Order: sequence, then C-alpha cells, then structure tokens
Amino acid sequence: MTDLILQALFSGVLIGGVYALVALGLALAFGAMRIINLAHGELVLLAAYMAYLVESRTGLDPYWAIPLALVVVMAVSWALFVLVDKIKDHRELNSLILTFAIGIILTNAILLIFASDMRSTSSAFLQDAVSFGDLFAMRGEIIAFVLSVVLMGVLWWWLKSSWYGRAVRAVSSNRNAARLMGINPARIETVSFLVAGALASFAGVALYTMSVVQPATGHALTVKAFIITVLAGVGSIPGVFLGAVLLGVTEALTVTLASSALQELAGMVLFLLVLFLLPNGLFGARARRG
Amino acid sequence: MLELDAVTVRFGGLTALSDISFHIKKGEILGLVGPNGAGKTTLFNSISGLVKARGRITFNGTDVTGLPLHKRARAGIGRTFQIPQPMHHLSVRENLAVAQVFGAGRHDENRIDEILAVMELSHKADADAANALALQELKRLEIAKALATEPKLLLLDEVLAGLESNAKRSFMMKLKELHKLFGLTIVIVEHDIETISGLCTRAVVLNFGQLIADGSPTEVFNNPAVVESYTGTAHA
Repeated sequence: MTDLILQALFSGVLIGGVYALVALGLALAFGAMRIINLAHGELVLLAAYMAYLVESRTGLDPYWAIPLALVVVMAVSWALFVLVDKIKDHRELNSLILTFAIGIILTNAILLIFASDMRSTSSAFLQDAVSFGDLFAMRGEIIAFVLSVVLMGVLWWWLKSSWYGRAVRAVSSNRNAARLMGINPARIETVSFLVAGALASFAGVALYTMSVVQPATGHALTVKAFIITVLAGVGSIPGVFLGAVLLGVTEALTVTLASSALQELAGMVLFLLVLFLLPNGLFGARARRG
Repeated sequence: MLELDAVTVRFGGLTALSDISFHIKKGEILGLVGPNGAGKTTLFNSISGLVKARGRITFNGTDVTGLPLHKRARAGIGRTFQIPQPMHHLSVRENLAVAQVFGAGRHDENRIDEILAVMELSHKADADAANALALQELKRLEIAKALATEPKLLLLDEVLAGLESNAKRSFMMKLKELHKLFGLTIVIVEHDIETISGLCTRAVVLNFGQLIADGSPTEVFNNPAVVESYTGTAHA
C-alpha cells in the first residue's frame, strides 16, 4: 500500500509540473489584463493536436511540433487578445462570455478536424518506463516535467529581470500608475497574451507526450488552471507550481485510493476547501496585501 | 510651457470643468486651489490624460489634447496621485527603473541613485514598495517615480495631505529643493493657504469647475470671490 501511495505522489508531482505550465499562462493573462481567459485550456489542447498532427503525418517525435504549435497557438492567442481588447465596457464580465464562446468554437473546430477519438503519442521512446528505485514513470512524463520546470525558471527570470517582464508586473500591479510611467498597457497586454500562448504551446505538446487528449480536454484544463490559480493566490510562480503539484497529487491519490471517476471531483473539493479556509490562496496573502 | 484653452470636462450631465483657460510658464511653482469638488483633480486628470477633455491642451508648443496618457508621460508631463500608487510587485528601485526606462527612454542607475538619495529612500531601495514603506515614504516614492520619468512639468496632487505641520514644512523644503535641482515646473494642488503662500509664486483658484482667480497667492487669497468660495460668505 505504501508503495502505491508513493507512486501516486510521484505521478502527481510529474503531472503537476505540466498543470503549472497550463496555469501560468492563465495567471499571466489575468495579471496583465484582469480577465480570466476561459479559452486557455483550448489553446493548450490546440498545441496538443499540433503535436498529434506532426507525429501522425511525419512520424517525427511530438516535440518536433513545438515550432508549429508556437506559431499556431500564439497567433490564436493574439487574435483572442484583439477581440478581448475591443470590449470597452465591463471588460472583466464580458470577456468571460467572449472567451467561453471562443473556447467552444475552438473545441468544435478541433472536433471537426480531428474527430472525437482519444489521441496519445505512439513514440516508444516517450512511452518507455524509467525507474527511480521503486518508483516508475514514462520517459515522456520525466521530459515534460523537466521542460515545465525549465520554462517556469525562464518565465521567472523574464518577469524578474527583463524590462518587459517588469512592465508586466507594473501593469498587473497598477494599470494607471504604469501608464503614468510611460508604459503602453496595450503593448504589455499583447506581450502577455503571446507569452501565455507560448506557455500553452509547450504545455499542450508536453501533455500529449504523457497523457491522452480529446476535444473535451480543453475545458477540463481551463478548470484545473483556474483551481491552481486560486490555490496559489495571484502573483507567485513558486505558488502556482506548488498549487499545481498539490492538485496533481490530490488527483493521483484519489485515483489510487478511491476511483478514477472521482479524479475531477477531488480537484473541486480541494478548490472549495481552499476557498472556505484560505480565501487568499495558499501562497497569495502577501501578494494581495495593499 | 503649458497652455490650457477652454478646457471642458463633462461626466454625463455634470460639468466638472468649464472653459478653463490659463498658461503656466517654465520654472513656475503654481498652486491649484479650491474647495472639495472644485475640479482640481479633474484638471490634473485632463492634463495628464486620465480623462478626455474638450478644448485644447498645449505642452511645449505641441497639442497633446488627443495623446494617450503614456505618451504625455513620455513627453515630459509627470504626475502624482493624492493616494500614493506604488507598483506593488516591484521593489522601490524597480519602480524608479521601470519609470525611467519607459518614461525617459533610457536606463541610468546613477540618476536613480541620485533620485533615491534626494527623496531619502536610499535605505529602502530594495524593499518591497507595497509592504515596507510608511505613508511619508510612499509619498516620497510617488514623487520619485514621477522624477524618474524625467518630467519637465510635475503635477503634485495633495502630496502634503495627512502630514503633521513639521513634516509638512520639511516636505515643502524638499519640493523647493527638487524645483531647483531638477529645473522643474511644478503645479501643486493644496488646500493649506500657508503652504501655497510659502511655496508658490502664483495661484489659480477653481470653484464648481470654473476658474475664479489667478494671481499671486496674496492677491488670490484676498479676492472676495475666493473667500466666499471657501467660507460661503462674502469678504468683509
């Protein structure tokens, strides 16, 4: 039993890494524009299907799809920003309706083009088992986790050290004060959406290499990203990572100890518990003060 | 330096500013005075670009009426808010650096150090702007951010509000120092007559969105219309 629990914890941490990547894209767009992009999961899904497309048509490893996924998903993310930016009144509320509708359109477009079948990588290399003592993982899971951690590090550096990253933090903190400092918020928001699209591209390809995807996956990913953002509290990359790992572990333990049918429910229960007990999130109290 | 020509701002049926026209000369320290609701902050919002105004606003010979806020900041119009608005996720130094890079278009750490020193914030340079500063320090950071954009015109919105008299006097001295050191033109919104008299070479008085007096502090504070606007009674 202990072995099973340890294996579940290990698997939960690995999937949590990719969940973190999904959630960071949502959190970045929220930070810059104060809108919740309900189509973010579909952007991740779109990237996953780009990986499927490249693998199925060329026989190449799915990671070769990253350039294509970056181009397609960042273009869709930019178009989504342009549409959201056209909303002049009650942007927070109206953008929810708009992005939800875009999510439905993307899901149905994927359904139309790729059919409703479940897809996963056929790469023997990525599906090979790797052992760490008594713990096992697919090679694809390890690569995806490492990729996620590296990308989180790059994002952290970008936000901390680059002028555009600092400007994103400035706009996220106080839009009008940032404008008075000479920052053009429209440009910063565009950059944020493009970076969110890039993160979704990597997350989607990584997800395809370690899991199964189908057109309905996008909505579930958005919900997970939203749960993680609430768990983490807005404004902390380590917080998002820990929140994502917590969600991954909770789901994995639920599958191991109870039933896979309860996996999504476990995430929602965790979400409600945090909302009731720690409304600022597990790590967000300091970020929200003031 | 700054010329306002028939500047009018309406919010629905309410006229917040009505046909305001005056000019500010380079190097002046001008006090903008008036009772609550007179339109002082709305005038600052119009000049800095936070609200759209009718009429014409000319800055250094360029019509800036249609320019967005960030372009006016880059053109040299700096502004502070009555309630300090630091950029919370950045340190004090980063607040200034971002303002300098995007507002002035260059990065000069020596200049940032100079501003930090003159605003007495050097010891808090690496502190979190949101959580580590007291009210007076936040007010100094508000001015420091504006200075980092290298403004030619600095609009100060009630920077002395909430300070006790000694702190207020020391802040006034600081403003005079900044005016001299950075060659600024300053417009300051302030209620306190003593402060305006001690600091400003000229005062403009607004009441109910209209300009009712313009002159030296002594002239305007003896103007019957100004006295009436403050006390509700005619000057004796």
